[in-house]
Amino acid sequence: MGTDLWGTTAIVGVGETDYVRGSDRHVCDLILDAAMEAITDAGLKPADINGIIPPPGYMSTEEIAAHLGVPDVAYHVSVLMGGASPTASLQTAAMAIAGGLADNVLVCMGWNGYSALRPKPDARPTKRVMNLGPMGETVRNHYAPYGLMSAAQHYSLYLRRYVETFGIPEDAAAAVAIACRNHAQLNSKALMRGAPLSRADYDAAPFIAEPLRKFDCCVETDCATAVVVTSLERARDLVHPAVVYLGGAEGHPEPADEIANRANLLELGIHRAAPRAFARAGVSPHDIDVLEIYDCFTYVVLLQLEALGYAEPGGAPAFVANGNIELGGRFPLNTHGGLLSQGHCWGLNHVVEATRQLRGTADAQVTDAELALVTGYGDLGDGSVAILGRDR
Amino acid sequence: MRTYVPTPEWIVLDWHHACIAAELLCIQRCTGCGRWRHPPRRFCPACQSDQAAFEPVTGSGSVLSFAVSHRSLDPGWQAHAPYATLLVELDEGPRLLAATTTPPGEIRIGQRLAVRTEALSENFVLVWADPASHDEPTSMAPRARGNPHD
Ligand SMILES: [Zn+2]
Repeated sequence: MGTDLWGTTAIVGVGETDYVRGSDRHVCDLILDAAMEAITDAGLKPADINGIIPPPGYMSTEEIAAHLGVPDVAYHVSVLMGGASPTASLQTAAMAIAGGLADNVLVCMGWNGYSALRPKPDARPTKRVMNLGPMGETVRNHYAPYGLMSAAQHYSLYLRRYVETFGIPEDAAAAVAIACRNHAQLNSKALMRGAPLSRADYDAAPFIAEPLRKFDCCVETDCATAVVVTSLERARDLVHPAVVYLGGAEGHPEPADEIANRANLLELGIHRAAPRAFARAGVSPHDIDVLEIYDCFTYVVLLQLEALGYAEPGGAPAFVANGNIELGGRFPLNTHGGLLSQGHCWGLNHVVEATRQLRGTADAQVTDAELALVTGYGDLGDGSVAILGRDR
Repeated sequence: MRTYVPTPEWIVLDWHHACIAAELLCIQRCTGCGRWRHPPRRFCPACQSDQAAFEPVTGSGSVLSFAVSHRSLDPGWQAHAPYATLLVELDEGPRLLAATTTPPGEIRIGQRLAVRTEALSENFVLVWADPASHDEPTSMAPRARGNPHD
């Protein structure tokens, strides 16, 4: 069963808009621009697409197909895991292709992450919103009445436990923030290009929700991204070198719909997804050349690195020290700048960057990158992993 | 001051109504096996029984973790920033969030707490927790579901 799925599909097209604070474009235009760019990048036409995974909210498959001119949607599904959705969508796309339900699947993401709360006076208005999925009920009933509305506040409940249990120093979080900002200086589309971050800047920034300071938090952005997935066989006839989807997985904490009653507050969805993904791809953590880790918050990156096996619990600070995660280090991390410094596109921008790294066309290219690992993280701790490789 | 008061539904509403009627914190307890659970669930994860009642708890617990918010999207809370929100582990085992009057700098993980409720509407109680007047050593705290790794 597994042998028919893992390693038999590939990413063949990528698209992304600019990452901005306050777009002049309607959110639907952002999504459609990225989608058309991904289809064109693959050397395909909209008529070649017959599978669609839309964003969690904002636009439906039906609208996307109609606006792009996709005449025959044979398969579609929505994946609702917050920021874990796009990376988890790759396994859904691969299943649809391997199972013969669709040939070429378009995965879309896009939103007005900045403008939703602060529309420009002349911006085109929208009533479209994200689909909060399962976390909406929990936040509305159990967290918001206690003054916890934002993800930074919800996650701080277990990040404090993490910091205090293991004595995680701010140095570790700062190393992640600064590595992402350094990489953003090299990325032509990064929101924070031209705005380097020093350790003094990091230390001087105020807390948002302890232990999260301003630069531990990702940048809210208006943006969209898209990828096209097809069979490896078809991929070999297309424009770019195929980027093979070697393996992936999703995982959910128990319970997944709220944080407080988890037996171990620090066991998240990715702790379950990671071993499944490595086993399916047939690789180990130390085979990976590039890490694109979902970085809504710096400390969440540290926790994920431990879940992936790059460090023991509490050991991530040593892993991110001494330039190990910088371009030129052993495990370059978020080479596009990540959600922290390129922009927040729910991690589909991580998939786009991993694809470019494996094509050899990234702005901050890792020499001879052959294997890339992408994670997604969302809702109240759901996780997803994708392991991508160059076609050999 | 608290600008957001939700109107819960379904079994979450039943929980709030039980707390309001008892004027005490109540928690759902399985009639089949006696286990406490929160937030309210249809079936007991241990014995699958759907027979359960909301019963008063002792109101004693300890700080498992806490959030300290310096920014809030809610103006009512923003006026109190920085403010703490406690993740309380009740002596009966279940955990829930609680508001506190205690300044963030005086809160410690493991601190013993006394919990009380305040009805903010006919359909919603807010849970409050502050350090117990006689602070017991944390090692004495009953641990219904302790985990050395969390
Ligand atoms: Zn039971």
